[in-house]
Amino acid sequence: MKLLVFVLNNEEYLEEVLEAYVEAGVTGATIIDSEGMGRFLTYEVPLFAGFKEFMKGNKPYNKTIISVIRDEVTVGRVESLMDTIVGDLDRPGTGIMFTLPVDWASGLVPEKEEV
Amino acid sequence: MGGISNRLLPECIVLDLNEESKEGVIRRLVEAVDRAHSLSDAKKLMEDILEREQLASTSLGLGCAIPHAHSLSLDETVIAAARLSPPRAFDAPDGEPISLVFLIAGPESNAGLHLRLLSKLARLLHNARFRDEIRGVGNAENFCDLICRWDE
Repeated sequence: MKLLVFVLNNEEYLEEVLEAYVEAGVTGATIIDSEGMGRFLTYEVPLFAGFKEFMKGNKPYNKTIISVIRDEVTVGRVESLMDTIVGDLDRPGTGIMFTLPVDWASGLVPEKEEV
Repeated sequence: MGGISNRLLPECIVLDLNEESKEGVIRRLVEAVDRAHSLSDAKKLMEDILEREQLASTSLGLGCAIPHAHSLSLDETVIAAARLSPPRAFDAPDGEPISLVFLIAGPESNAGLHLRLLSKLARLLHNARFRDEIRGVGNAENFCDLICRWDE
């Protein structure tokens, strides 16, 4: 079981990204409004205002999608679909995706009800 | 290790500076940097720092400020410091008169280092014990020694 975390920088892709999650077999996810460190420092802390130039291409706000995934094959399907929707995540300002091992979870959609 | 202390020479520390204006303080620090590092264009550095000041205040509050700029007049990142006596009310967000001023200047190609130094100085200056100690030192050498101790 994995926790899949995806920080999506371009919020315009959110709908397509969630459609892809469902297509890949993800039955539930939580979407959190989030903000990059660079945006916060350069726009909210006057001392760092001079560094706006260095965060060009980064969106001011982003969405963080977290999801507990039972079957690790699903993670691979999500990853490959993300590549077609948002492009190569290695491009700066696209997003960050990673997984963490989950050793216990409660409250998930029952396995037999998963799509 | 030592990012601040490596770049802050004793001759770039001005203690108990009595200047009424922010511009006057910055000018004194630029002059000190120019003497220690033989700038290619000290006037340009002064302009670059004042231009950055126009963008937003570089005061942290707590009586501290870190004016800074990227400048073509330098090929390495340097730091200078002033302790003001008496403290002066510049444009601090909390209204507290400024008594400690650190100036950071360096080439744009070193923006990452510049940002790390700025963040580290801001973190140190947020520490009340550091501020108290630095306000109490007697001379530039002791000022440098103290920075060395904290800059680990």
